[in-house]
Amino acid sequence: MVYDFQLWKHVKKVPIKGVIEVKMIEFSNITLGFGNKIIFDDFNYSIESGKKILLNSPSGTGKSTLFGLMLGFLKPEKGQVIVDNLVLNAGTIKEIRNKYGYLSQDIEFGEGKVLYIIREIFNYAQNRGVQLNLNLLNNLMDYFEIESSLLENSARSLSGGEKQRLMIIILLLLNKDIYLLDEPTSALDESLKSKVKEYFLGMQKTVFVISHDKLWEKDKRVTILNWQGKVGNIYGQ
Amino acid sequence: MDSKDLGFLSLLLVIVLLTIPLMFNYLLKLNIGKKIIISVSRMCVQLFLVGIFLKYIFEFNSLWLNLAWLMFMIVISTISVINTSRLKKKIFFVPILLSVAIPVLTILFYFNKFVVRLDNIFEAKYLIAIGGMLLGNLLNGNIIGANNFINNIRKAERKYFADLMLGATKFEALLPNIRESVLASINPTLASIATVGLVSLPGMMTGQILGGASPDAAVKYQLAIMIAIFVTRILSIYFVLIMIIKIGFDDFDILKKECFLEK
Repeated sequence: MVYDFQLWKHVKKVPIKGVIEVKMIEFSNITLGFGNKIIFDDFNYSIESGKKILLNSPSGTGKSTLFGLMLGFLKPEKGQVIVDNLVLNAGTIKEIRNKYGYLSQDIEFGEGKVLYIIREIFNYAQNRGVQLNLNLLNNLMDYFEIESSLLENSARSLSGGEKQRLMIIILLLLNKDIYLLDEPTSALDESLKSKVKEYFLGMQKTVFVISHDKLWEKDKRVTILNWQGKVGNIYGQ
Repeated sequence: MDSKDLGFLSLLLVIVLLTIPLMFNYLLKLNIGKKIIISVSRMCVQLFLVGIFLKYIFEFNSLWLNLAWLMFMIVISTISVINTSRLKKKIFFVPILLSVAIPVLTILFYFNKFVVRLDNIFEAKYLIAIGGMLLGNLLNGNIIGANNFINNIRKAERKYFADLMLGATKFEALLPNIRESVLASINPTLASIATVGLVSLPGMMTGQILGGASPDAAVKYQLAIMIAIFVTRILSIYFVLIMIIKIGFDDFDILKKECFLEK
């Protein structure tokens, strides 16, 4: 049985002047399960560039699995993931991963001063082309309400909310095409939650958010991708 | 040789000393009585067999026999590293064998040729005695280092993924773990290098002094062997880790669970 979920046919498309809608991510005939539990059964779905997708179905329904498939942490039994016109495979994995800014649920910084860790990240092989923009760093820290003195502190002393915001800042500095955010506002208070939301929904990039925070789903700019269990029940709103 | 041989009575008298641990076993209910007896019996049988075997090996002093015995020791060390690190034998036997054999053989031949300046670097006494010391030590180091590395991979899987996604290569993302595991492996040797003579008189030195060598010569040998052990140990653990990294991850840089045995 073939499902073809054209989420967007129900959505009124507002073409932006002179911009052709480009598919950013495409799931093509994906099948994947764990043991007896089938999570994706011939799943077809595509997301256009610049869309803001919210995943808020109950836990255990495959939200993280979908992230895992996009990031190449999980391999589908059948089917393909296509990212920015590249089929995800061993030859393209590095290039594709380089397009993502991924915020994981439990963020761990290594040992040492915060600024040192940031510099170390910018020294990674894939990031050699990206200069650490200290001005932008300061502006973002300002916006997300982090004291600049924190850069000199040990990473061990960071609170959950500080880690979350710092990692978001680092991902933004790395200037990725697609942002995958797993519970990005879980450790933040209301005003910071809405700042994070505003930043990501206001940008041109493609953004995926896993969150059960109501403020995301209330926003009109967000497309909700919500399903129960097997993806046969997937629906768009 | 000046050292006195131990007679049957002597061995009996040293075995009598075992009543002390056996007493503690009873007193503290350590539940290791059987284990003590089995371990000691095994040691007796193994050492006596090796004694007989080495006697002939030293007597024949044949190139191929010497090398075969060295190879045998290398294989046993390899199996021991694989088993205690819960690696799959089928997949890792050859790579770990190379990681053990290459450093040991390189350092051993260098040692015999340039340090001891032997005419025949395959001389049984040196090849097997020095080789055995290097292997015994490297075995320890590899077990500590490889175990540390594999446990850390499992514990820090999310951090590893996150680092990959931040642009790190597999090697860069594993580097903190590599560092920690190499250090765990070599730190005991470094500590014993720093305290040798003050705290302990190592087996080799003791053996040579008992064997009639002057403390002067024994000291020089000890110094040389400790450096050789240190170098072999760091080389071998590095090779072992590289093999685990090369083989244990797939083309998406994800840990291949099927290469490792469950805890």
